[in-house]
Amino acid sequence: MARIKGYPEALETKLRDRYMYGEDAHPEFTDTVEKISMTIPHMCYQCGTCTASCPSAPRSSYRIRKFVRRALLGLETEALTDPDLWLCTTCYSCTDRCPRDIAPTDVIMAMRNLAFKRDIIPVNFLKTVQAIYTTGHGVPNNDVNRAARVKLGMDADPPTTHTYKEFIPGIQKILDYYKLKANADRIVKEREG
Amino acid sequence: MAERKTKKETASTKGTTAAVKKQAPAKAAIGEQPEAKKEARVGVFICHCGTNIAGSMDITAVQDYAKTIPNVAYVDNYKYMCSMPGQAVINKAIADNKLTGVVVAACSPRLHEPTFRTATKEGGLNPFRFEMANIREQNSWVHMHDQEGATEKAKDAIRIAVAKATLLEDLFPKSVPVEKAAMVVGAGIAGMQAALDLANAGIKTYLIEKTPTIGGRMSQLDKTFPTLDCSQCILTPKMVDVGRSENIELMTYSEVESVEGYIGNFDVTIRKKARGVLSMEEGEAMGIVGGGCNGCGDCEAVCPVVLPNTFEEGMKPRKAIYIQHPQVVPLLYTIDFESCIKCDLCVKICGEKKAIDLNQKDEFVKVKVGTAILATGYDMFPVENKTEWGYKRFENVITSLEFERLICASGPTGGHMVRPSDGVAPKRVAFLLCAGSRDNTGNGKPYCSRFCCMYSLKHAHQLIEKMPGVQPYIFYMDIRSFGKMYEEFYYRIQDEGAKFIRGRVSNILEDPVSKNLMVFADDTLLDRPMKLEVDLVVLAAAVQPAADTNRTRKLFGVSCSMDGWLLEAHPKLNPCGTTTAGVFLAGVCQGPKDIPDTVASAEGAASAASIPIHVGHVELEPYFAQCIDEKCAGCGMCVNLCPYSALALVEKDGRKVMQVTEAKCKGCGTCGGFCPGGAIWMNHFATPQIIAQIDAFLLGGEQ
Repeated sequence: MARIKGYPEALETKLRDRYMYGEDAHPEFTDTVEKISMTIPHMCYQCGTCTASCPSAPRSSYRIRKFVRRALLGLETEALTDPDLWLCTTCYSCTDRCPRDIAPTDVIMAMRNLAFKRDIIPVNFLKTVQAIYTTGHGVPNNDVNRAARVKLGMDADPPTTHTYKEFIPGIQKILDYYKLKANADRIVKEREG
Repeated sequence: MAERKTKKETASTKGTTAAVKKQAPAKAAIGEQPEAKKEARVGVFICHCGTNIAGSMDITAVQDYAKTIPNVAYVDNYKYMCSMPGQAVINKAIADNKLTGVVVAACSPRLHEPTFRTATKEGGLNPFRFEMANIREQNSWVHMHDQEGATEKAKDAIRIAVAKATLLEDLFPKSVPVEKAAMVVGAGIAGMQAALDLANAGIKTYLIEKTPTIGGRMSQLDKTFPTLDCSQCILTPKMVDVGRSENIELMTYSEVESVEGYIGNFDVTIRKKARGVLSMEEGEAMGIVGGGCNGCGDCEAVCPVVLPNTFEEGMKPRKAIYIQHPQVVPLLYTIDFESCIKCDLCVKICGEKKAIDLNQKDEFVKVKVGTAILATGYDMFPVENKTEWGYKRFENVITSLEFERLICASGPTGGHMVRPSDGVAPKRVAFLLCAGSRDNTGNGKPYCSRFCCMYSLKHAHQLIEKMPGVQPYIFYMDIRSFGKMYEEFYYRIQDEGAKFIRGRVSNILEDPVSKNLMVFADDTLLDRPMKLEVDLVVLAAAVQPAADTNRTRKLFGVSCSMDGWLLEAHPKLNPCGTTTAGVFLAGVCQGPKDIPDTVASAEGAASAASIPIHVGHVELEPYFAQCIDEKCAGCGMCVNLCPYSALALVEKDGRKVMQVTEAKCKGCGTCGGFCPGGAIWMNHFATPQIIAQIDAFLLGGEQ
């Protein structure tokens, strides 16, 4: 940020223009989010049941109520560029309790999809994509887990792609169809070289 | 079975003679279409309704088209057809053009049919020679963005209306006498107020109450907002008035069993449930001198059966023979036969008064009334269904009605506000507003229950006043303090120290040891999620229609809206009336209301219900069925089909034919559509008229 009045940077940030202008709102963003999420954020009356239910909110700056508000007002850039977007654990507690029968979790998921289209996504999410591509699991089995499973009398690997590796190409085909792996690889390379 | 009848023969005879005179000319016309075939001359009048209609269609095109419709003798349009000049246009055109029928293309007949009927009548025609084409609600409003389509649809609507107007006949409304008595169902504050108003207007009123005492929900309350009057103190004088009024016949522990008849002449059967106790009057009637229940309570003391008292929300015990609270009207004990073990102890202690009859059976009483008011009230929404708040799982989560009983000096704790788990006075109390209201999940109520904001403010005030040092927290979404002096009350409570947190509580957890409660909410104004430890949680639960509302409304033929509240005739302009003539609504059964609104609504209903009684007769729309005797084969199959029991088989000229009791007939057309011989003529909706309408639509105007 340009130092117009010569204040220290922290103060400059605090004094920045905070008006919400009419042109910030994009009604088509509301429509798109509703179409992808198949839920109705425009009906939100901001009671806060979602944030109060949220396991992430008490330990982070993530406020799902704010994201639903942004969806309602069509504040596209503000919603998609906020790193908090990626702090939802998708536990669906808010969806269970919302008195307006909105599915706030699905609003978040829709926004994440839209953000990804603009290459806005944390790298750890992309690594998950890569893990799924190679193993079929977002969190692949590891030696500690295998030992625990054996100890509990189960097979070392679960009856998934870990046991039936011949199904991995099927998963890869799906990810390739949506160019998810290619995009993930590209973005990771751009960020990490 | 006791027969009761009010003596009001004078009014009845007057009404009947009037009826006979008015109706005389109608009969000759059945089944013929005399003048219509000769030369029908229909006038068409198109209303702009400002831009409501004219803004969505081409009025000139519609008018030009209307001129080409067969039998149309005159076409005109006007900005507001319902205005005085608009009506004058109709008036003048009828005389100038010798019209035989009038078509007004405007709004819904539900709004202006009476207006244009009057205009038709003033023009010198029979008012039933008028037909309305709805080109607003069913056209311009729904096709606002389709000018061409709307114009074409209006042409169709007018062509169809003209086809019917061509065949319309003179009809004469029927007048029936009105019984000078009324019935009020439910004796809460609404029913009591309505009954008192009717009684004070000189009308004999039957007040039916299903529980053993009158008073309803209001008698359960401690204080009333915003004036903080003691609820019982302002209610009991009215209860006493009801008990003493000569014009009110109070029937407690009674239910409406069946309703027959129509406005002016409802025959109502009432089930007087066996209460096992004789009143002093009943005792006297049975020849027991000085007998009957005097409310001494000796029986209650000896009764061995203990049950929860529903009046105290189950927080106080009662016996199988009981009164709900000390101020009941009538002061008369009641036996709960479902739990009575018939040990006879009460009979013995009652002794010479002989007030108790353990073998009493339900009794049926028949009364005749002219009009009826439903005031069936509300129940609390079972808020335990919202499992996240833990009602009935956590001891210290209570409802507002339980709070009312706990803080009430005559309540189970003598007015000492304690929490249920340990009987200790709470220090921090959370009030949860909209507990089940404004909830669209299906598990809850979509509407605002309307008085919870205000009574929760009152609860906070009562805590602060009674127990200095207590901190009330009010979790709200919006505070709806809309009434007179309500906003000022809100200001006062905030000033007294209640903390308002704008956020809905997501869930509550209980500390298993201390039984304290963790309340989770989002302080949306601070944008911080919060976890608050409190000693007591009060849920301002939603309200819903009383349990038997659906049964009662069906008996009286009243509709309900999607959420179960009884449906008024018009939400703004006829909030006390229903679509069934002679049946009115008072109080919360029509939708949530606080006490002032309930009383206002009750007085409105009483006023509306007294009008037909004071007039002495009512005019019924002449839309009844008529039997064409020559065509009737006397099969009698229609008789059982009639939902209003209006039809009967009678002997006429040596053979059986059907006869219609015109006042009972609602013109539904069930019999007319069914009759295999085509012998039933539905006035104003006759088969030839309907066929002409269908033809006009299908043939697109080609005859």
